[in-house]
Amino acid sequence: MQVYLPIAELSVNLFFLVGIGGAVGFLSGLFGIGGGFLLTPLLIFSGVPAPVAVASVTGQVVAASTSGALSHYRRGGIDMHLAMYLVLSGIIGAFGGVAFFSLLRTLGQLDLVISLGYLLILGSMGTIMLIESTRAILKRRSGIVVRERLPNQHNWIHGLPWRVRFKKSRLYISVLPVLIIGVLIGFVGSLLGIGGGFIMVPALVYLLRVPGNMVIGTSLLQVVAMMAATTILHAVQSQSVDALLAFCLMVGGTAGAQFGASAGRQLRGEQLRGLLALLVLAVAIRFGLSLVLAPDDPFSMAVAGLGG
Amino acid sequence: MRRFFALLVLSLLTVLPADAARLVSQLSNDNIQITSSFDGERLTFFGSVVPDAGSTERYVEGPFHVVIVVMGPTQNRVARQMTHNFGIWLNTEQVTFRNFPSYFQVLSSGRLLDITDVTTLSAEHILPESHTLLPNEAGWWKTAIFGRELIRLMTEKRLFGISENAVNFLSDNFYSAQLTLPSDAPPGPYIALTYVFKDGELIARRSEGFAVRKIGFERFVAQAAVQQPFVYGVLCVLLALVTGWLGGVLFKR
Repeated sequence: MQVYLPIAELSVNLFFLVGIGGAVGFLSGLFGIGGGFLLTPLLIFSGVPAPVAVASVTGQVVAASTSGALSHYRRGGIDMHLAMYLVLSGIIGAFGGVAFFSLLRTLGQLDLVISLGYLLILGSMGTIMLIESTRAILKRRSGIVVRERLPNQHNWIHGLPWRVRFKKSRLYISVLPVLIIGVLIGFVGSLLGIGGGFIMVPALVYLLRVPGNMVIGTSLLQVVAMMAATTILHAVQSQSVDALLAFCLMVGGTAGAQFGASAGRQLRGEQLRGLLALLVLAVAIRFGLSLVLAPDDPFSMAVAGLGG
Repeated sequence: MRRFFALLVLSLLTVLPADAARLVSQLSNDNIQITSSFDGERLTFFGSVVPDAGSTERYVEGPFHVVIVVMGPTQNRVARQMTHNFGIWLNTEQVTFRNFPSYFQVLSSGRLLDITDVTTLSAEHILPESHTLLPNEAGWWKTAIFGRELIRLMTEKRLFGISENAVNFLSDNFYSAQLTLPSDAPPGPYIALTYVFKDGELIARRSEGFAVRKIGFERFVAQAAVQQPFVYGVLCVLLALVTGWLGGVLFKR
């Protein structure tokens, strides 16, 4: 069944849209990620214009992260104080990201920056995650008890000025790293159409030493709030949010996420992280190849506004 | 007196060309509506070559050739070229074509070059290339190269094309032609120009307009996104929040 997308101005098979939404939703439930980094490229490769894909996926990420954020909130797994700092700085970053997005679009370099961004961010994050999870799996095999790092161990980052007490996370740290992480993820997330959960979680764990029971909930709330703001910004700035496209993806995504979450309970944490690392690396390699290999067609075209 | 009449008839005959003809044409559908299930639409053009008003002749003699040019709303379109720099491929050069047709199809009853000469085809903007030959700040050399590539890209997307046997003559002077508008045909005002040629000469022409527009829900969404972008964005977020929450509630086990 074909469905006409009013903003993308093309007709796409409805089952295809709900299907890729569901498949990515399954993975996002399995790994506890938003899934934007998979969905945006999939849409671009299937013919949706890059600006529409990026802007609409931000809407889908909001939906995919909402139910997770709510359940963590009920369990008390969100540090509201910390989340507030992250969200506010994230929105500032998102303003920058959306403005940069429009600038690149007129310069004709949007596709290049999206490819480079995916390659660098996904490539480095994927490598780090793969090394970390392989170590954990090997240690478990050889019977060594893995000693988790203590969350209240301090490093130099915590000693920076403007220290704030985050009661729920039992932290007394400088707000500077918190704000910098927020701005960076806001910028990257709005530019690339990803929630940034897979950057946020390691940053909270390894840089800020946020306790494990607060990490996922706080990161999910930050993703929901920041992507909501980004959706509105994209709607105002580039008018390329396709509500129908986003809705089709959301329906598949929220359904798929529930099945993914129950499947995820069958696997151990380090196995999940290892699989996610492979997935992230595969997407990074796909983008890397598109930059390095000679394109099928060196020429491309785009609409640069209405005539008149 | 008889001589005067004879002169008058003679002068009338010289004023009226022998093949004074006009075109009577019609379009199957002048309002194409894009609904949620829009998957392209088939249009039929038909018409007849008849003697001009006031002509003494009852019918016109062929053989005629008909060329129909269907043109979509104009946009500014940019063509870009990737080059290999520092080991990666990136867009380095671009040329913007202002008021470039978003859709351009030529239907004809025979090979265009058999119907008339290149000069007439160019002068009447029948060939797609004629839209890339307008003056451009990029310089004529780059304009020519990028223009050719842009037409190739548009043709690959089936937005541009020439179908040299699409017009069929059902009798000596009655023709019909079919055109399938693709689902990604840009919405807006379209124009269909019909040219009648005889022995390489343009003897009649006619233009008709039709509109491709979104209706109902699609129109509502597209208008809201442009006219009330902030409200539209907020509604998209609310939709996402409700869908996410509902999904969590419905599938909870």
